[in-house]
Amino acid sequence: MIDNGFPLTTEPNILRQMIASPNIVSKMLSVATGNSSNVSNTLPDATASCVPWRITDLKHTNNEVYVDLVEEMDAIINSDGALVKCEINGEVQVNSHLSGLPDLTLSFANPSILNDVRFHPCVRFRPWESHQILSFVPPDGQFKLMSYRSNVIHLQGQKVEEYSDICKATANLRFWDMPYQCFADLTSNHGAVNILANKTCSWSIGRIPKDKAPSMSGTLALETDLERLNVFPTFQVGFRIMGVALSALQIDKLDLRNLPNRPYKGFRALTQAGEFEVRS
Amino acid sequence: MFPQFGATADTLSKASTMVFRIGTDAHLYDDPEDVNISLLLDSKFDSEKCEALKRLLALIAQGFDVSNFFPQVVKNVASQSLEVKKLVYLYLLHYAEKRPNEALLSINSFQKDLGDPNPLVRALALRAMAGIRLHVISPIVLVAVGKCARDPSVYVRKCAANALPKLYDLHLEENTTTIEEIVGILLNDNSPGVVGAAAAAFASVCPNNLSLIERNYRRLCETLPDVEDWGQIVLIGVLLRYVIARHGLAKESIMLSSCATVSYRSENDGSENDGSDTNFELKENGKDKGCDVYESELPEIVSRSYLEGPENYLSRSSHADKGSFGLDFSCFTSAKSNYDVKILLQCTSPLLWSHNSAVVLAAAGFHWIMAPKEDVKRIVKPLLFVLRSSNASKYVVLCNIQVFAKVMPYVFSPYYEDFFICSSDSYQIKALKLEILSSIATDSSILVIFQEFQDYVRDPDRRFAADTVAAIGLCVRRLPKVSDMCLGWLLALTRQESLNSDIGSVGGEDGVLVQALISIKAIINLDPPCHEKVIVQLVRSLELIKVPAARAMIFWMVGEYNSIGGIIPLMLPTVLKYLAWCFTSEALEAKLQILNTAVKVLLCSKGEDMWTFRRILSYVLELAICDLSYDVRDRARVLKKLLSPLIVSHDLEVEAKGLPENKDLKIVVADLFFRGQSKPCPEPINYRFYLPGSLSHIVLHAAPGYEPLPYPCSLSIDELGHDFNDVQGIEALREGPTGSDSYGVDGSDTVSGSLDGENTSDYSSEYSITGSGGSGGEESGSVSESDDNADPLINFSDVSNACANQNGGSQDNNAPSRIDDFEELMSKKSLDSWLDEHPSQSSSELTHIQRSSARISLGHIGGRVKLKSHKLLDPVIGNGLSVDYTFSSEISSVSPLLVCVEVSFTNCSTEPMSKLLLVDEESSKGIDSAEAALATSESPLTSDKDVPILVPLEDINSLDASQTIRRILQVRFHHHLLPLKLVLWCNGKKHPVKLRPDIGFFVKPLPMDIEMFTSKESQLPGMFEYTRSCTFTDHIGELKNEQCDSSLIKDKFLVICESLALKMLSNANLFLVSVDMPVAANLDDASGLRLRFSSEILSNSIPCLITATVEGKCSEPLTLSVKVNCEETVFGLNLLNRIVNFLAEPILTTL
Repeated sequence: MIDNGFPLTTEPNILRQMIASPNIVSKMLSVATGNSSNVSNTLPDATASCVPWRITDLKHTNNEVYVDLVEEMDAIINSDGALVKCEINGEVQVNSHLSGLPDLTLSFANPSILNDVRFHPCVRFRPWESHQILSFVPPDGQFKLMSYRSNVIHLQGQKVEEYSDICKATANLRFWDMPYQCFADLTSNHGAVNILANKTCSWSIGRIPKDKAPSMSGTLALETDLERLNVFPTFQVGFRIMGVALSALQIDKLDLRNLPNRPYKGFRALTQAGEFEVRS
Repeated sequence: MFPQFGATADTLSKASTMVFRIGTDAHLYDDPEDVNISLLLDSKFDSEKCEALKRLLALIAQGFDVSNFFPQVVKNVASQSLEVKKLVYLYLLHYAEKRPNEALLSINSFQKDLGDPNPLVRALALRAMAGIRLHVISPIVLVAVGKCARDPSVYVRKCAANALPKLYDLHLEENTTTIEEIVGILLNDNSPGVVGAAAAAFASVCPNNLSLIERNYRRLCETLPDVEDWGQIVLIGVLLRYVIARHGLAKESIMLSSCATVSYRSENDGSENDGSDTNFELKENGKDKGCDVYESELPEIVSRSYLEGPENYLSRSSHADKGSFGLDFSCFTSAKSNYDVKILLQCTSPLLWSHNSAVVLAAAGFHWIMAPKEDVKRIVKPLLFVLRSSNASKYVVLCNIQVFAKVMPYVFSPYYEDFFICSSDSYQIKALKLEILSSIATDSSILVIFQEFQDYVRDPDRRFAADTVAAIGLCVRRLPKVSDMCLGWLLALTRQESLNSDIGSVGGEDGVLVQALISIKAIINLDPPCHEKVIVQLVRSLELIKVPAARAMIFWMVGEYNSIGGIIPLMLPTVLKYLAWCFTSEALEAKLQILNTAVKVLLCSKGEDMWTFRRILSYVLELAICDLSYDVRDRARVLKKLLSPLIVSHDLEVEAKGLPENKDLKIVVADLFFRGQSKPCPEPINYRFYLPGSLSHIVLHAAPGYEPLPYPCSLSIDELGHDFNDVQGIEALREGPTGSDSYGVDGSDTVSGSLDGENTSDYSSEYSITGSGGSGGEESGSVSESDDNADPLINFSDVSNACANQNGGSQDNNAPSRIDDFEELMSKKSLDSWLDEHPSQSSSELTHIQRSSARISLGHIGGRVKLKSHKLLDPVIGNGLSVDYTFSSEISSVSPLLVCVEVSFTNCSTEPMSKLLLVDEESSKGIDSAEAALATSESPLTSDKDVPILVPLEDINSLDASQTIRRILQVRFHHHLLPLKLVLWCNGKKHPVKLRPDIGFFVKPLPMDIEMFTSKESQLPGMFEYTRSCTFTDHIGELKNEQCDSSLIKDKFLVICESLALKMLSNANLFLVSVDMPVAANLDDASGLRLRFSSEILSNSIPCLITATVEGKCSEPLTLSVKVNCEETVFGLNLLNRIVNFLAEPILTTL
């Protein structure tokens, strides 16, 4: 909500209480009653509270909190095949459905690998400064607790195999800005290769096989009147690996205080490609 | 392929759209006008009103003008439903400026809402009210904001803070102090949310009133982490300004360390010392020094740009010496020992972890300026992390990093990998990254960066590839160690087939090649003797290179370095022959360079080659003189004339050899032109540095609202206490001259003549009603007939005037008509005292009793009415011409829209003036001479539409020294509050002046009796009635005078009545209907005293009734409550404000 060009209310929690977001039930109600108001008549309490991101009196029947590590790998592989730059950008996403005003503490087993961090406003700075612990009162629902950057990549080839049972990968290859390329013939030793109209090749590997390393090879043909390329395209690669955090960041424990009953805690990890490009 | 399927998909998507629209208001946009909106608006169900309003808003969104529903919509403002209210407010805000009169109808409802128990309603009312941009209601809004600033709800206080900039935007100069006070209150708030909004208000209302920050500084720092993101950004800026103004720059910071680059240099020097070639190293150190000067200057330039604004600094430094910093060292503080600085650094450092990129940037900017330079590196990682966001914010962050990296390359140099370019980056981002990379490259990282650059050159974007080649040149200039490697690679690049092929010119390959040669040129320039072979190789590849600009550059290099090394002189004859051979087929720029080169070679040549060169040059000159391009022809002619002795005379060579000091002057000149350029001149610093994170920094010019940092230590502790007094002092000063000016005019002889005449007419016009009771129609008739007379009022009241002039006669006239059932209450004594005091003026005191009050009429008062004079043109500005104006009580004879203003021109200078003319701004554009203006003025204008802004007064042809001429000006003001811009011509010069309207003279007296008054008053209740209170003090001075002068004893009540009526009539064109006096009152209690005035608005003859009621004790300041009844709401409110203002003003003049 903007007032005179200056943000008046930007906190999603308060906005959601002021103006109810439309959903099926409210739509049905409005059709039935003819009253389509989704504007609240009262000021949300959160405007005056010291935790504006949280509704003060929340009640959930089953308390649960999920922590997801979502990592993106940025890498540049140059024309010689050397890894020029590689870093991991990760996010800790929390989905919390907790009653009351819980106080959560999240600690990592290896916080030293974090190169850089940025926090959701709910995270208290002091505990992080002193002990590298995330202490916070969570907003309700899905939110991004923190994002981090790490240069350390522990995962090597053999480790992939270790995870290969659970890991599913798809790779997308984009021939970026290539006016020359008109025809491609690509084959792989595992999974299916699809060449799409928008100069994208999709290679779904599926479950990574244990006996061989999946690879794709082929030739790209140039337009007829061109013999050589003097400019070289860049391939953008996209992939998704479930269940692995490439930075090897490990969550040590999640403590919950100020809760009436024991909640369910869940943890997941996911790695995908960020700006992963291969120069030719 | 499958048309049927396509159709199905289409239907499906349509169907899904329909499903999504169920339960929303989307259908209202389809055809908002398909129902009768006005019927719905008048409905008694809130849901129907809602729908109507939504339809109206939908129409507004579609660009229709639906302002004709305004009255109906505004009526709904009083609705209890919050949703209706919200919609009405939206509508109101959209049209309020267009229909101010109707918008005012909603004010009462706003006032009521402000007292609502629901904070949401209060906040909404305040936001809407502040959003109505009308001057009229600004005082009300100001009061409301002041009240809301102390509201128990955080949300309402926050809205109050947000309302302040809206109020400030209306330019209410007189209320600035009040607004600033409210800002102070809000800054002192306990809630972080309010503090953030208050900081934003502070930044837009009074960014320089830093004493407000002083009071709360520590607390503001501590709440900073809890404030909302957007507030944090503003607050950091405000606190930074305060710290600089209060304590100055930190002496450990990068801003004050011209030795910032030394540590970096020393690192470099250390590595350079390993070099084996001492000669090389010596030279390099020399270069380094040049570089050092440049780089060590940079922090100073940056900090001074921050403090003064780059425009100021650059313009000054271009012609003044750069050395005078102007800051003495007492202005500096220490970031380590100063608690204020330390606490702010502490509180901003966690903000570097904020999830909001703008906050990170703001915090980084603060650390950049204030943190000790060994701590500045902590901003690096957060800034680099912010780079991983949207393209737009990436660009902004990179722009800031670019400056940081220029000043402190060593803090960024380990992180060069972060600036490697992705193919998905936009071109602008790529260019910035290249620039940063080339400025942070070090000896250790250059190899990797160079490798990277080689990849970039193969990028499909050729513009980017060219930039990369340029960046390589920049890198080598900073790190001469890699020059050999880079040169080799660049040479290989120039020989690449693709760059020289025909296709290349299409894809921008030219640019890459030219850029490669520029880079090569720059690298060779660093150390020409070492790179002799490069030049040779370039010359060899001339056959291959076809781009004219590139060829021209190679030719230039041949000429420039013709005497360097051992190989070049040997090959020169061959090369020159080749040049001469291909001269005709070259492009313009290459031809010019061939000419230059031939001359340069000849000038440096010795021995037997000279003859060959001379032959070649004369051959080339012959060709050039016949060239198609005049540029080439001209150059050839100049050269020929200049070098004629060299070319023509064959024995000159001997001469020149034998006596070098006798060399022909022409050759010396040629020498100057073509040699001595080889010294590399240091690059001028033309960067503009704006504060980090500011918009100006991105656009590289001062954006509106950009202010450089305050001058260090400009805010001292002593100042803080007096800040408010200073403001008032200035205001007093501002008022001073105008006040005294009006005094001067009042006292001058000019007033006595004409004003007296007016006063009599005033008086008599009042009188004529009580006396003769003449009807309004008759009077106006007489007015229109008496056009020839300057003062129409005198005309229509001639009869009574004649009577009035006889002292006391009027009393007789009046007595029979009015006195019937009234008793005389006033004591005989006081009546006598009246008569004694003003024997020349007629006076009558008729006291009437009605219920418990007595009624008197103060007829004599007219004689003492003193009209206030305003300054139109100050003699200082107007070259000695002083122009004052007084609103006169005359009524314009031309049109009711016109207001009469008496303007008096006084020549304060010693020389006579001529051709004085006052015209309005628009007409002055079209009018060249005064004659034309006069011609237009002669045509009679009668209809309302054609009423001119100004009925021009006749031309004043000359005005002698210290002569005063007065004229009656008839003006049509566009608005009763906004000044009218006029142009005053004098001696052929143009002076823009502003005529400020006085709403008190937009009315004319409406004579009526008390019965009529009360009946009219009863017809204008409720909405048309406005009341305000003020304090009245004029009478106190008068009463004191009375006491001193014991011989005259006047009734206190009378004194009060008199001074009050006098003040009213002096400031507004009113008719005094009656004066009511309390009968059973205590002697000293003036409560119940009531004065009634009536008037009608000039333009539309709507009556305007004014009642002033007194409360309080006679000898003390009285509380006056003034009530205005008028159908025209805006006008009435404005008139009320004006009356209250002048009544509260202390008396300026005593008779």
